[in-house]
Amino acid sequence: MSETSPEEARRIAQGARDRVHFEEEALALADQVYRVARGVSRNKEEAEDLMQETYARAFRSWESFTPGTNLRAWLLRILTNLNIDRGRRAQRTPDQQPLEEGDYFLYNRLESTSGESDEERILERLSQDHVAEALAAVPHDFRDVLVLVDIGEFSYAEAAQILDIPIGTVMSRLHRGRRILKQQLAELAVEAG
Amino acid sequence: MSEVDPCDWCEEVLQPYLDRDLNETDVKKVKTHLAGCSWCEKRFKFETDLRRLVRQAAVEPMEPELKAKLAALRLEL
Repeated sequence: MSETSPEEARRIAQGARDRVHFEEEALALADQVYRVARGVSRNKEEAEDLMQETYARAFRSWESFTPGTNLRAWLLRILTNLNIDRGRRAQRTPDQQPLEEGDYFLYNRLESTSGESDEERILERLSQDHVAEALAAVPHDFRDVLVLVDIGEFSYAEAAQILDIPIGTVMSRLHRGRRILKQQLAELAVEAG
Repeated sequence: MSEVDPCDWCEEVLQPYLDRDLNETDVKKVKTHLAGCSWCEKRFKFETDLRRLVRQAAVEPMEPELKAKLAALRLEL
């Protein structure tokens, strides 16, 4: 056995401490990361798998994280990349149906079928499952942005960094994603009516 | 230069406003307009509710078993 110099021993010990510290910080963020995982996944099982893959990769590549930067954003960058790699590309392409009514779509449609104008009641008709179902129907490019901003509460700039896309793209995908979401919700609400 | 319709302007900034990505000056302008315009106020309330609904889609907490599984993924010392 070769002798380890005191300096070398200190370096190794320091590295181990840094790693443990990193792992603890990452695990402390797991609840927040899970909410995003749940939002971008079709179901709980998929979200749980995604979490395990994300954390396994994060622990393996902990040295590429720059201390002092946003760890939650770093973890979510791994998560969203893994999620894209998982072949969600197979999902159907964005709905090409024209949405001329734009942002008023859900509003108008629900108002015309319910005969009342109390939006609160309109949204009350939708359960958590309805929303999850509607979200799952939003193509992933749009859904990722929506989930990061609405559920992860990231700014446009942070979402852009996580997904490695320009801020303008974040804004347009968000806009488009919400339109698709509203359309899906409108259909579900009318069915649930 | 023609004057921009305040309701059109409000609709345009609705997204960054609700996503906490609008500058302070414009936030103040939006608030002033909303206080005096029931149509835009209704629109904003609806969009706010929609965002809340999306957040609620992800409220169920992580199972304790998953937490344990994640902790088990830590590298050996």
